[in-house]
Amino acid sequence: MASNRTFTSPALTFELVARCSVTRARASILTLPHGTVNLPIFMPVATQASLKGLTPEQLEATGCRLCLNNTYHLGLKPGQEVLDAIGGAHKLQGWNRNILTDSGGFQMVSLLKLANITEEGVRFLSPHDGSPMLLTPEHSMSLQNSIGSDIMMQLDDVLVTTSPDAARMREAMERSVRWLDRCIAAHKKPDSQNLFCIIQGGLDLDMRRECCREMLARDTPGIAIGGLSGGEAKDDFCRVVAACTELLPDLKPRYVMGIGYPEDLVVSVALGADMFDCVWPTRTARFGNAITKHGMLNMKREVYAADFGPIEEGCGCPCCRPVEEDGAMGITRAFVHHNTAKETVAAHLLTLHNVWYQLDLMRGAREAVIEDRFPAFVKQFFGDLYPDRSSYPSWAVEALKGVGIDLLET
Amino acid sequence: MTVDTQNSNSAAMRFEVLKGALKDGVAARVGRLAFSGRLPIDTPNSLAMASRGALPHLTPDNVGKHLQAGGAYMALEDFIERPQRYSKRTPPIYTTPTTPKHTTRLHSFTAMPQSVTTVLGARRVPAVNSPMGNTNASISVFTSTGFQVLTTREYLSAVTALAPDIAIPLTDLPHSPITPNSKRALRMAERTDEWAVEWFASLAESTTTIPQRTATFAPVLPISYSIQWEYIARLAEDYLPTGQLSGLAIYDPDLLPDLAEHAPALLPLPRLSLSNPPTPHHILRQIALGVDLFALPFINTISDAGLALSFSFPPPPPSPSGGTTTSGLSPLATDLSHPSHATSLTPLSQNCTCYACTAHHRAYIHHLLAAREMLGWTLLQIHNHAVMADFFAGVRAALAQGQEAFEEVARQFSLAYEPDFPEGVAERPRARGYHYRSVGGGEGRRNKGGGGRGGGGGGGGRGGGGGGGKVDGEKSIGG
Ligand SMILES: [Zn+2]
Ligand SMILES: [Zn+2]
Repeated sequence: MASNRTFTSPALTFELVARCSVTRARASILTLPHGTVNLPIFMPVATQASLKGLTPEQLEATGCRLCLNNTYHLGLKPGQEVLDAIGGAHKLQGWNRNILTDSGGFQMVSLLKLANITEEGVRFLSPHDGSPMLLTPEHSMSLQNSIGSDIMMQLDDVLVTTSPDAARMREAMERSVRWLDRCIAAHKKPDSQNLFCIIQGGLDLDMRRECCREMLARDTPGIAIGGLSGGEAKDDFCRVVAACTELLPDLKPRYVMGIGYPEDLVVSVALGADMFDCVWPTRTARFGNAITKHGMLNMKREVYAADFGPIEEGCGCPCCRPVEEDGAMGITRAFVHHNTAKETVAAHLLTLHNVWYQLDLMRGAREAVIEDRFPAFVKQFFGDLYPDRSSYPSWAVEALKGVGIDLLET
Repeated sequence: MTVDTQNSNSAAMRFEVLKGALKDGVAARVGRLAFSGRLPIDTPNSLAMASRGALPHLTPDNVGKHLQAGGAYMALEDFIERPQRYSKRTPPIYTTPTTPKHTTRLHSFTAMPQSVTTVLGARRVPAVNSPMGNTNASISVFTSTGFQVLTTREYLSAVTALAPDIAIPLTDLPHSPITPNSKRALRMAERTDEWAVEWFASLAESTTTIPQRTATFAPVLPISYSIQWEYIARLAEDYLPTGQLSGLAIYDPDLLPDLAEHAPALLPLPRLSLSNPPTPHHILRQIALGVDLFALPFINTISDAGLALSFSFPPPPPSPSGGTTTSGLSPLATDLSHPSHATSLTPLSQNCTCYACTAHHRAYIHHLLAAREMLGWTLLQIHNHAVMADFFAGVRAALAQGQEAFEEVARQFSLAYEPDFPEGVAERPRARGYHYRSVGGGEGRRNKGGGGRGGGGGGGGRGGGGGGGKVDGEKSIGG
């Protein structure tokens, strides 16, 4: 069902709110079984049903309405039986907002060196006892049905995009299409959980386009672009995203998997993508890193020992706002420095700040699209991030030029 | 029973004894300790124990929202390290700007919610043993960069700069596994006495030296009364009448009967126990001896061990259906890492209304512990502090019924619960700070002594044996 602004499927409604008049950026509202989500969006990764020490209440207060859980990890702990007994991951973690889960396949391939992919599924050795195990599309669906995620991902045959083996790349792409069919057939709860397809095809744009056509023919409620963030050059990454978004329907959400650096988010939004996830913002918090609009700051550095300013001046997160404001803590860089790598609280505070930063960046992009000033937003973003235009990364300049923004224009 | 209402007030502090026997010596009592700008603390009660200015695993917003923390104990040694490359730097906390809401540097630097009363001591409780002794003008403290000398003058200026609500003057404690002989004990008393004289002289000299708002809780040493009587007599005769002395920090509550006998003038003062009672049974005993406020390191340790406190005061009526151990006694805590909790959707303990128990359940904490996710310890901290707060509320309610009622419920409590905490098999959080590094072999019966992860034990070639000095409040060190 689709009007010219709204797409509806059993467990999802996508409403296109605004479109940038210059780039391919969009603002939309995604309604899922656990509430509405404003797009574009960054989704924090709560790998094992918890976000690095933040309570679900704290996470919700950042404005997060959709976070990730990893199927591979939840399949190990607490395990499918426990998930079934408890009634799914929402109930496990006390999170009444939306959850997206990956298929588990990528985690296996990236975490377990001995994973081996056959037509049947991903073969691997159990990290528990070394016994041989097999993750099939059917098993992935069954696990994700037990988790009860609002968005489930198909099992795909993931290959690093930089693989030189074109034949293997084609095999992976075609197999991913066949696995989508098996996933659709095995999905037991299409009325309450959405299954997204994943476009593969490496850096070969024709293969990506072919994959798009095959996947779109299966009419899933949302579409992901996969296999990126694997170490490919940034301009290759942008070309793939641009090639895919060009072919994708307007009225379905587009998710670029595994993307999280602020520049990547902003450029990808300009290229027409809506959803992103990455462990980096929360992982880097553990090492004392704060993401700010002027770049990343490592709070361990001695210069912050007696810096009594907020983590980021002007930030609206509960850590940075002055303590006089409602719900604010008035945390200083000095306090974070004092406790980085010494008390877990420092990591919690930076996680809170970093998640806020990422969500707020996407909120800002969304507002800019709605008010049709997105190109100015992008220019401001790069202007804040780099000392001068000559240091702008060329991949970003090129990619944005391709959608009508000239970052270097005066 | 005699009920006296007596007050102890200083410029900053007001302590009211609302109910309790004073005339017949020390006994349990109900009171209220209030500082301007802070939430009043109903006593008996406990202080949350901060580590490096933070309550372990709890961001300040969670402290404000989910803990009924009236007070927090902080140690100066957590703030004054001298990194090798910047050995000349002034500890940053001394120069923190204050704000309209965080009116003291201690609050401002740590972002501790302003409603929380701060207590500053030189050392953590329990403190890591020091291989270096104290001198006539300094003590040895343990910072994240190693052992360091803290002089009486530096400590005074730190208190001036930080403006805690309560400060404990420097105390000559050996912080050594060796029980001090009577000669050493005498020197402890003499030094602590001299340091108190210096402290109060400095207070009298200038109203700004020790800020008007800081209340002094003078230490009472864990040595026999007969060795420190001169010091205690001086407190009662010289500093109580001037209003400079606001309370007592007691390292061995068993001295309280002696104090009542020999220095009754000190009885109206609030009494803070720094004796590190290891279980609620010990706490009840100390309450009966007249302790008003407790520093309770075991709460943090219990949370790190994956244990959820499960006791209440009064204890629930015995149920035939169990929940008890083979001894017929109920456990003091539940080990949530046990597989039996894997699918349990019940609260961490019955009837608890804390955030962890209302928004979450045992199965989640069990999962978080198994996955070594930090949130597990955060939620346990919220719950364990809530159970402790409820325990003290129960104690006060019983005391409001009278001394006999309290004693009867305390007796029921001792019959209902096991004497010790269970061990807890969960892996502890990764060592977060220096104070854990120096702890050796404390993983076993963590709760038996003051050792374990709380930082009391020795080892690592640095601190010597386990148990940071006086730990169980049962016997005194001195002869
Ligand atoms: Zn912030
Ligand atoms: Zn609770």
